[in-house]
Amino acid sequence: MIPLIWNKKCLRIMRLTILFLFVGLMQVSASLYSQNTKLNLDFHNTSVLQVLEAIENQSEFRFAYSPKYIDMERKVDVEIKDKSIEQTLSLLFNGTDVNYSISDRHILLFIANEQAKPAQQKKSVSGKVTDSSGTTLPGVSVVVKGTTLGVITDMDGKYSLSNLPENATLQFTFVGMKSQEIVVGEKTIIDIKLEDQTVGIEEVVAVGYGIQKKRDVTGSVISIKSEQFQNAPQTTIAQSLQGKMAGVQISQTSSSAEGNSNQIQIRGVRSITAGGSPLIVVDGIPYSGILSEINPNDIESIEVLKDASSAAIYGARAANGVILISTKKGLIGKTTVSYEGYYGLDVMAHTPEMMSAQEFYNFKVARKGVSSITIAEQQEYAKGTDTDWLALATRTGKREQHNISVSGGSENTKYFFSGSANKTQGLAKNDDFNRYTFRINIESAITSWLKIGTSTQLGYFGRNGEPANFASAMTTNPLNVPYNADGTINFTPWAGDTFIKNPLEPLVYTSEDVARSAVSNNFLQIDFPFLKGLTYRVNCGYNYRYRLYELYVGRNTLTGSQLGGQMQVNNEGKEDWTLENIVTYNKTFGKHTVGFTGLYSAQQYTEKFHDLTATGFPADYMTYYQSKVATAWAPTDSYTKTATISQMARLNYNFSSKYLLTMTARRDGFSAFGTDTKFGIFPSVALGWNVNEESFLKSIVWIDRVKLRVSYGVNGNQAISAYSTLPTMSGQNFLDNNKKPLIGFYPNKLGDPVLGWETTRSFNIGLDHSFLKGRLSGTIDAYSTATENLLLNCAIPQINGVGSITKNIGKTTGQGIELQLSSINVRTKDFSWTTDLNLSFQRSQIRNVGSYDANGNPTDNIANNWFIGKPIGVIYGYAFDGIWQAGDNIASSWMPTAKPGDVKIKDISGPNGVPDNKIDVNDRTILGKTNPDMIGGITNTFQYKAITFSFFINAVKGITKYTDYNNTWVDGRYNMRFRTWWTADNPINTYPANREDSNPYGAGYFGNTNDGSFIRLSNVTLAYKFSPILLKKLKMNNLEVYVNAKNLATLTHFIGLDPELSSDYAVPFSRSFLVGIRFNL
Amino acid sequence: MKNIAKIFVFVLFLQLIQGCNEKEFLQEAPKDATYADNLFLSYDGFLLAKNALLAFPRKERSEVILNGEVGQIWKIGTDVAWAISELSTSRGLNQYTTVDLVPTMTVLNGDNSNPGIFLVLYQTIVSANTIIERAANPAINWQGSTPAINDSRKSEIIGHAKLIRAWAYRHLVMTFGAVPLNVTEINGTNFRTDWRRDPVELIQKQIEEDLLFAESSLPDNAKDVTRLSKVIAQYYLADLYLWQGKNYEAEQKLRAIVTNTNFALITNRYGVKSTLPGCPFMDQFYSGNIMPTQGNTEALWVFPDTDVDLALGQYANAMRRGWIPTYYNKNIAYLPEYGGRGIGREGITAWALSIYEPKDDRYSSYALRRSYVDKTGATLKCDSTASKMVTNANLWVCTRKWDWTFADPARWGDSYAYGDQTYIRLSDVYLLLAEALFKQNKSSEVDGAAYWINKVRTRSNATPITAGTVTLDYILDERARELITEENRRETLYRTGKLLERTRLYNPIANGTRNGVAGMQAFQQLLPIPQRIIDANSGYKMEQNPGY
Repeated sequence: MIPLIWNKKCLRIMRLTILFLFVGLMQVSASLYSQNTKLNLDFHNTSVLQVLEAIENQSEFRFAYSPKYIDMERKVDVEIKDKSIEQTLSLLFNGTDVNYSISDRHILLFIANEQAKPAQQKKSVSGKVTDSSGTTLPGVSVVVKGTTLGVITDMDGKYSLSNLPENATLQFTFVGMKSQEIVVGEKTIIDIKLEDQTVGIEEVVAVGYGIQKKRDVTGSVISIKSEQFQNAPQTTIAQSLQGKMAGVQISQTSSSAEGNSNQIQIRGVRSITAGGSPLIVVDGIPYSGILSEINPNDIESIEVLKDASSAAIYGARAANGVILISTKKGLIGKTTVSYEGYYGLDVMAHTPEMMSAQEFYNFKVARKGVSSITIAEQQEYAKGTDTDWLALATRTGKREQHNISVSGGSENTKYFFSGSANKTQGLAKNDDFNRYTFRINIESAITSWLKIGTSTQLGYFGRNGEPANFASAMTTNPLNVPYNADGTINFTPWAGDTFIKNPLEPLVYTSEDVARSAVSNNFLQIDFPFLKGLTYRVNCGYNYRYRLYELYVGRNTLTGSQLGGQMQVNNEGKEDWTLENIVTYNKTFGKHTVGFTGLYSAQQYTEKFHDLTATGFPADYMTYYQSKVATAWAPTDSYTKTATISQMARLNYNFSSKYLLTMTARRDGFSAFGTDTKFGIFPSVALGWNVNEESFLKSIVWIDRVKLRVSYGVNGNQAISAYSTLPTMSGQNFLDNNKKPLIGFYPNKLGDPVLGWETTRSFNIGLDHSFLKGRLSGTIDAYSTATENLLLNCAIPQINGVGSITKNIGKTTGQGIELQLSSINVRTKDFSWTTDLNLSFQRSQIRNVGSYDANGNPTDNIANNWFIGKPIGVIYGYAFDGIWQAGDNIASSWMPTAKPGDVKIKDISGPNGVPDNKIDVNDRTILGKTNPDMIGGITNTFQYKAITFSFFINAVKGITKYTDYNNTWVDGRYNMRFRTWWTADNPINTYPANREDSNPYGAGYFGNTNDGSFIRLSNVTLAYKFSPILLKKLKMNNLEVYVNAKNLATLTHFIGLDPELSSDYAVPFSRSFLVGIRFNL
Repeated sequence: MKNIAKIFVFVLFLQLIQGCNEKEFLQEAPKDATYADNLFLSYDGFLLAKNALLAFPRKERSEVILNGEVGQIWKIGTDVAWAISELSTSRGLNQYTTVDLVPTMTVLNGDNSNPGIFLVLYQTIVSANTIIERAANPAINWQGSTPAINDSRKSEIIGHAKLIRAWAYRHLVMTFGAVPLNVTEINGTNFRTDWRRDPVELIQKQIEEDLLFAESSLPDNAKDVTRLSKVIAQYYLADLYLWQGKNYEAEQKLRAIVTNTNFALITNRYGVKSTLPGCPFMDQFYSGNIMPTQGNTEALWVFPDTDVDLALGQYANAMRRGWIPTYYNKNIAYLPEYGGRGIGREGITAWALSIYEPKDDRYSSYALRRSYVDKTGATLKCDSTASKMVTNANLWVCTRKWDWTFADPARWGDSYAYGDQTYIRLSDVYLLLAEALFKQNKSSEVDGAAYWINKVRTRSNATPITAGTVTLDYILDERARELITEENRRETLYRTGKLLERTRLYNPIANGTRNGVAGMQAFQQLLPIPQRIIDANSGYKMEQNPGY
């Protein structure tokens, strides 16, 4: 049966919907297939049939048609290069009445307006196609094997075929399902169940300067699609990646509305002191901006290049890994309008237990005697003052985002426009982040050989308002008074002591902090008309960001009243341009496919800051527009420029998609290195073997896919700042007899003139697999790295006039194992349960830090806490061994002057390496490390009909962290976290007595309370997708609503504010609850 | 069409192949920084380097290495001073506890935000070395109209550098004993990690050489705070000679100063408070009287400062806040009368407060503050007897030498002071001369030790002494009376060999009496070499001072 046109369109919509519903996340890239696949045909006087077969041979398109109506023997001339299937078909059937319908890889050919003519009934068969759960499958292609006779199932999954030849075999194919062949024989009804096919194998991933089929990738590349984070939206994309990708560690070091304090590390640390951040590439162009200034809704996919080979094309800056961000593009077809939005509330996830006024009072009396209570404190104590400064500095946060996009395209031009508004109010009062972005992504074919395009975001980023001084808000004495009776800020919260400033003062500052930026990546591509497969592309990236920060501290604050007002204006301009010339050539002959990519690029980054601070104004009303009437000014200016030049060549070879080879070499020059050491060369090689393509594995039914990958290569790290090799002098000024400033300079920096690249050699072996028809799939990678010529800030004796210098010395090594596994635990008709797990184990060792003993063996550098054979980032000091108790024989111990209640230090070693019953510098030891052994994340997703429930748990293990809780020194003026001290009545072994001298060696780590390992329930989401039937009535393509909760629970031994936060006295993490909606028309 | 395409592509290809001038493109040309190579080309550049160098000694009175004036490390833990608010950074120096006075202590090593004493002093030395070495370059344009002017400019610049280098080495060698001697500019290729400690004698020789050069090249001038006078070089030469036992040579240098007519003791009231009750001794400490141009004839070396907010060249002076107690804890308002805000880091020992005659101006209420009036109108008196030398004593008799606060009442509680201060005074020279004479058995009241001591005493209305009274201890007592909180007492006592004896005798905290502990030991006369230096000196194992 051949449906009418109207039905066809309807069917197509249905198929897409079904595809979306049932095939799921991994498969979405498949819908891109028809857009992304380019065809090359050169036939003269050839039958349509042969042309179609040729298309089938060079692509994964499969045709279905009825030969009864379509003349397959018609002779045609076709000569096309890199054309889409649509363009090809329109050419092929130009002037005929043949129409076509493309659904992913499946194409139905039919005659417009043809009438169902009575057939000469030879033999007929009909039936119904369902999936394994029994759901009917519309759109399945049913073709008689060896012929071009076939149909597509209707909306009920039904089909019927007539005029079957003798001995016919039916082929049933459907995207995402395993094809089946059934011999018709005598049957007239054939109902069939199609099994799910392994998905993902044909996924296309960005690999840097191009895209590749996932099965052809030789490096260790990990990919995440927007669908994987869209139901748990974050203000900044980095937070969405936390815990999702094996080998990618993201830790949020402070809490804010913007959520931008994220430390991203790929495969741990290699560099001891140079920067360890990965290179971020947005739409092909290195991005040096702030990640939170990219609209997360615009992001289509994120790829992380982890091993040396895949990252090698970005050689210079690839040693710390590369993150490729691709924004959404328009697709050929009808214009789609989409809306995504959410609204949420933030509350404090964990309120630190500060001392109340009563507790503080008792503690201070116990510590310093009742005479230490000042008269002001005594008065407030008597009045019952108990100020909760933390509460005064915080609020319930709010977050909302609205995003509208319009996308579509014709054969020649595809477009994606989006506009977004994000308004986030953090937990801390006045911590506001407003983001407005507008994106234009256009790609247009000017001629058959020339294409131009842009991917541009314009943004406005507001960070107005000053939050309270948080470190101070959390430590200000609870007996201090925040407000005057009239509600204004009390300048002297500690009566009589103007030294104690009110931490809430910033809340009444006047300030504006607005950045505007353009991130524009543009290209021009020429497909050489005279040599097939040869392409030349120019990428031109231009980023500009201007930030204007304006602050006025008026007389309604203590500072302002003392200085007669203070203003600050920062003008910050940043400009970054990249120009890339890329030549690619791809050629397939027989089973051999070769590809070449050549690159010549230049990049320049310039930063100009002109800042001004001024004080002493006649009045407040002109705020920061009155520098001309100030009485004192302190301007500062800075100028930074770096430049990079790169050449790269990559060669890909692929034999029958079975054996794969990638070779890359890159040469980079970076301005900040010494005159003769600016250039570095970074080669790499990778091999891939699709083992499942081998005949000996084909018979093993439970193996869907097995690929083995091996790579080795060299990457560089240039993470030093501009002018690092130049010995800048510092300013130090004096005054003359008349108090006029005398400007002075002195040498305060050493520059190593031969500073050059830090290089990392790494070896990676990986296995991609899929078993049991996709029920269990994933990737396992193991790697080892060796980093040499470290860009090391070495502590040198201060006798040199400075205490450190950046040198290329030393070596570190690292190893790790990464697992990324997905399993479909349950799949029935209405219910499914899938688990995605990733685990990374990593370790590092310092091998050499540039100093050697008499025998030439590398020696430790204790001044920097660098120890040979030990990890990068260790904590070194005296080891806590509990508390001295009254019954201990202290007098004859190694701490004879200790008192009960003092911290007991382990007597580890004397000068000769054995304990000497004495505590001195020889007893310092390694107490822990600052980088984890293991990171991981697990997502469980349960789907029941249209309802999806998922939760995500993030874990970090094996990290030691300092907390101010271990600081037993007490000023007496400030509040701190409540702690239970040792007393004679409560002789605990975990915390010393409430005395100034109870921690004589200043031990900073008290056992497992400093263990920063944690398990966090980071996200829980419940989503509902409206049924296609309802949507059809609403004329919508998709409608989804969800609720999401973040940071619901944390398990940890760590006693500080949070194992992720870098400070104990900072804004605590929030717990967020939000609701979101998404639809498109 | 195809041809156009080919041409277009060809042109693009040419561009691709040609690329850009890589060397030029990657060349760095910072615009916002100064480098030695472009600074030390002319006299103007050397003056800029000299300005920075002059600011180093001034740091001694700021808090760059610990929560208190840097000079605290040469003051507390001696016979005359103790730490009232004993922080972990000062406990070791205050009590000589062996767990605190250790090579790892932050005051010596620095931490993330503080440089540590070695860095401050060696930074000074390397800055001076750079000036001295670069000045030798014959290509420098000294910008003078005659070769003679050029020569004198050059030698005066070098003279300043050598004087300040000697100042820094003197501190190092008197505090740590043998330390590495470096007289070269350090750059990215010749820095060392295998420093060795050079003998004290070698460093003394360098100090002497530098000071002799400075003496010969610095102006005989007292009125300009930016052109240090040769008398400063003579002062330090005398100090060095006294240390070395060369008493006659010391006497000669000191006589050169006391006969220099540019300088005279302040014996009469002058300046901003001359019409108010007071005494000549204290007039030289009042803001407005301190600069030589304001009538101060007694100052050999003055550190200028300014109270203009944000002014370049301003520095935060910590003397006042350090030496004035935390009276605000006693419900007392911040007042200029009380010197401004104090945090009581340091205090004068009960003994040092006990050695004055009541009529001595230096013991008068103009010089020492003994009581306060609180907000209720009650008078609170300081009890500064030995038994009250307890941590965080809120009221303690304090010197008024460093009283300074803003005129604006809103800023009476400000943390730091921005007034000018004298660093070396002529009365100090008189007492050194008395010491030089006494050591040559010349104690006479006519022109011997007693004569010079009496000049200092009579100026402050103290009873003159006879020759027979003069002993080394008496001279040290007189130095305490005259120079309390100014003198780097540890160094004076170390130089005279009296550090252990007098500290144990007069300081009940440092000698262990108060806490019933051992107190100061002989080895603690020298402080430990910072562990950071030993650890970072990876190419050679630098030995620690004995006992640590």
